Amino acid sequence: MPTVRLRDADEYPEPARRAFELSKQWFNYDFSQPAAMSRVMAWDPHFGGPHGRAMKRAMTPGEFSRGEKEMVAAVVSGVNACDY
Amino acid sequence: MGGDAVWYEAAMVVGITNALNVVADGLGALMAPVKPGAGTAEVDAVYDDVRAFYGGTAEIPMPFGLAAQDPGYLADVWAAAKRAFGDNQLSRRVKTALAFAVSLTTRSAFGTGFHLAELRRLGVGEPGIMEVVGVTQMFSSYTKIADTLQLEPDMGDIAPIDRTPAPGGGPA
Repeated sequence: MPTVRLRDADEYPEPARRAFELSKQWFNYDFSQPAAMSRVMAWDPHFGGPHGRAMKRAMTPGEFSRGEKEMVAAVVSGVNACDY
Repeated sequence: MGGDAVWYEAAMVVGITNALNVVADGLGALMAPVKPGAGTAEVDAVYDDVRAFYGGTAEIPMPFGLAAQDPGYLADVWAAAKRAFGDNQLSRRVKTALAFAVSLTTRSAFGTGFHLAELRRLGVGEPGIMEVVGVTQMFSSYTKIADTLQLEPDMGDIAPIDRTPAPGGGPA
């Protein structure tokens, strides 16, 4: 169980809700609530904003495709033993 | 990149990468690798295959040199490593990127240097290497934030279940 109460999307201010829409497009998936990490990052936009941009930049297709990068992300998460 | 096959392959790359790294990092300074020509004919045959697989390099990578203390063990470890890193559903280039990311994440000095050199040898440019570094770094942040807050997975249903049978098996 999370150590914090994850707020629903409608508890966030409008700019964060717009970011949740972008997140939905990024994942191309209709979450009932934005992904937990999206809501965590939206808690502090001065951290979550640049962190999210760095993440998006890192995941953008280049020499490696988005799919290949998702696989790199998965193995990094795996060796970090991260269930999320 | 749909289906389970690529994930099975990725998992095997992660496993054998870690296996090679722990021995090289843990024992590289403590045990002497078997030098080419100093072991059995079986060892030299494996070494020839290792060199060919890694582009004709003269040097035998440390984990295989250490494994060669037991020629039969070396042969099996090498067969598994060669199979894991060979082109299949995933390309060798992608598998090497995975191995580099795993090595960097687990702070393996041997694996990081070895797979970085392999990425370059396989034609990945510095921008491509930085892409892998960026993904590794950002997900090393993401995972720790998620773990600190003990977040529960909420994206498990994004991908469809792969109902295809195991290789050589019957329909599910």
